[in-house]
Amino acid sequence: MKKDRKDSAVNKGELNQTVSKRQSRREVLLKTGGILAAGAFGAVPLRGWAADPVNIGALYPTTGSMAQIGVGCVAAAKLAVEMVNDAGGIKSLGGAKLNLILSDVQSDTTVTRTETDRLITGNKLSAIHGCYASALTLIASEVAERAKVPLITGSSSDQLNKGRTYTFTPFARASQFARAQLQMAKLVSDSPKVAVIFENTAFGTSTSNGLKELAPAEGVEIVMFEPYSAGFTDASPLINKVKSSGANALFSLSYLNDLILIVRTVKQVGLNIAINGGSGGFVMPDFYKNVGKPAEGLQGVAHWNHDVSDDAQKVNVEFKKRTGEFLFEYAGGLVAQTFMLADALERAASTDPQKVREALSALDVSSGYAAMAPGGKVKFGPDGKNVYGRPVGVQWQNGDLASVFPKEDARAPLLKT
Amino acid sequence: MWETVAQAVINGLLIGGIYALVSIGVTLIFGVVKIVNFAQGEFVMIGMYISFFLANQFGIDPLVSLVVSMPVLFVVGVLIQHFLIRRVLGPNDMPQIFLTFALSLLLLNLALMLFSANYRTVHTSYSDEAFHIGGLYVPVAKLIAFAVAMLLSGVLWVFLHTTDLGKAMRAAAQNRDVATLMGINPNRVFCVALGIALALAGAAGSLLMPFYSAYPFVGQVFTLMAFVAVVLGTLGNVIGALIASLMMGIAESLGIQYVGADSGLIVVFAMLLLTLAFKPSGLGGGRAR
Repeated sequence: MKKDRKDSAVNKGELNQTVSKRQSRREVLLKTGGILAAGAFGAVPLRGWAADPVNIGALYPTTGSMAQIGVGCVAAAKLAVEMVNDAGGIKSLGGAKLNLILSDVQSDTTVTRTETDRLITGNKLSAIHGCYASALTLIASEVAERAKVPLITGSSSDQLNKGRTYTFTPFARASQFARAQLQMAKLVSDSPKVAVIFENTAFGTSTSNGLKELAPAEGVEIVMFEPYSAGFTDASPLINKVKSSGANALFSLSYLNDLILIVRTVKQVGLNIAINGGSGGFVMPDFYKNVGKPAEGLQGVAHWNHDVSDDAQKVNVEFKKRTGEFLFEYAGGLVAQTFMLADALERAASTDPQKVREALSALDVSSGYAAMAPGGKVKFGPDGKNVYGRPVGVQWQNGDLASVFPKEDARAPLLKT
Repeated sequence: MWETVAQAVINGLLIGGIYALVSIGVTLIFGVVKIVNFAQGEFVMIGMYISFFLANQFGIDPLVSLVVSMPVLFVVGVLIQHFLIRRVLGPNDMPQIFLTFALSLLLLNLALMLFSANYRTVHTSYSDEAFHIGGLYVPVAKLIAFAVAMLLSGVLWVFLHTTDLGKAMRAAAQNRDVATLMGINPNRVFCVALGIALALAGAAGSLLMPFYSAYPFVGQVFTLMAFVAVVLGTLGNVIGALIASLMMGIAESLGIQYVGADSGLIVVFAMLLLTLAFKPSGLGGGRAR
């Protein structure tokens, strides 16, 4: 399907050029031939019909275990492209429209590698965004680096900022999340005593170690530091232990099912403790649906939230109309990223991925949809990291996720439960 | 200190009741039909989904949906025995192992296809409630689950010891050939045994639903615990499986409290290892029932 679209675009171009029929057929054949075709396409002077669309690749898992969130990302990606196009497209390219080329990476690292490769070689892309899950984004970023196509992502892994020149991360990094969590604990109590419980996997262990290292400097005491094996049948023994530790705040580094059990059990015990559920599944609309009322007052951290700015609220309303859910962390960041790409394309006045990369690295926005981020400013450092990037502390209030930390980003007061 | 220990024991006992329902099913099938049912956990999963959909579509309380999930799974058990297991009963164990294992994989993947890997929860008015006695608490949903589990186990015991069919089942378990000579129809007895075992799994599923999430892999957690309980309590011994399940629940809970949250099962497996070393036939004393 994607190939058909490209062929027809090529055909139109050649009719304008009044090339002989025979020649054009041969050229079409050539151009469908993968890498060789990509080269030939690039050689055609496009400036004459500048309204040719700008191809943006979007890699998201829309099947497999991460599908649920991936599908939400695709909905946001489509919405963002529509917004850019309705506002007149890329003016420096004669009002060129953004053309979103979607690819399903199937929640699988191997598929991500081949799909990224296929997407880059099969289409003339100006930039890529994806893939939601850090494990997948790391792979896609490797492929994009090699092909010299800029990739912009909301994935939080710090590794995306190491030894890469085509990868851009406009939002807070994983290492910043731990500090924000600790600082939030200080808002709840003057002498925070934190119990950290974490899944004994790579995710849980690395995040919890980050917390442990930062805690003394932030003046937070960790009174319990306990790994558990995921998929338990009963959270009560664990919560019993938290209770006897005397903690007044609980950091749970868990996947959805365990977290649901933990939250429900804390409520049953009647334990008065501030729970911080971190990021990921915790800041998704689904979490509240599963936990219900006991989720009220629970805190977490996110790299984006739908109330960070008035622009974000506007997009949120539209997204809600389309999907029925509020604009969640990753999807919202994704809309902002699309506008960052549009801003770069505007200044580059070219669809060439190298020029787009240069324009991205010089990006400096503090207003409009491209600046929808905690802190409200985006400017990339040499490592592709937004120098103003910071996480936002959130809290479930009346079924909605409200920004409560830091003070500059807070849209609602933190409720001490 | 005493409060913490007492609370750990209560927690363990309550979850042990659920383990018991699953392991009694496994041990009943092993005792009577002499096959190992690897798919027992998947039937718990089916019971959970039945309760979930009844609650979600018609607002039926998961505890009420016991009256649906148990009969449905009873019929499923009879059908599985009559059309599948009957064909592989013979001197060779391999086809039986493959059959129940394949059944487990099939049901698991079918659930993935039909219901996706998402977690489904049901909220009841008592889901997050608990009785508080002194410094201790007893969650309502788990207490109900425990009580119903014990009641069902009691009913099963009475059935096995007082009714003709129950006695026939025990006879078939003790010696199939002699039982057949006495005029007992083994296939009929086996069908009932499978039906009862699956109905118990279904009951476990419905009882879990108010406080646990349903997802396609949920059965695997319980299958593992059930197998340990069955071996610990002597293969084929219903009372043994019941007591072993409760002990395991308590051991796991105390293990989490005093060894580590990721090593609660270490205590359970140490218990299994010691039992096998000193009393290889299990705590039930080697007698079936």
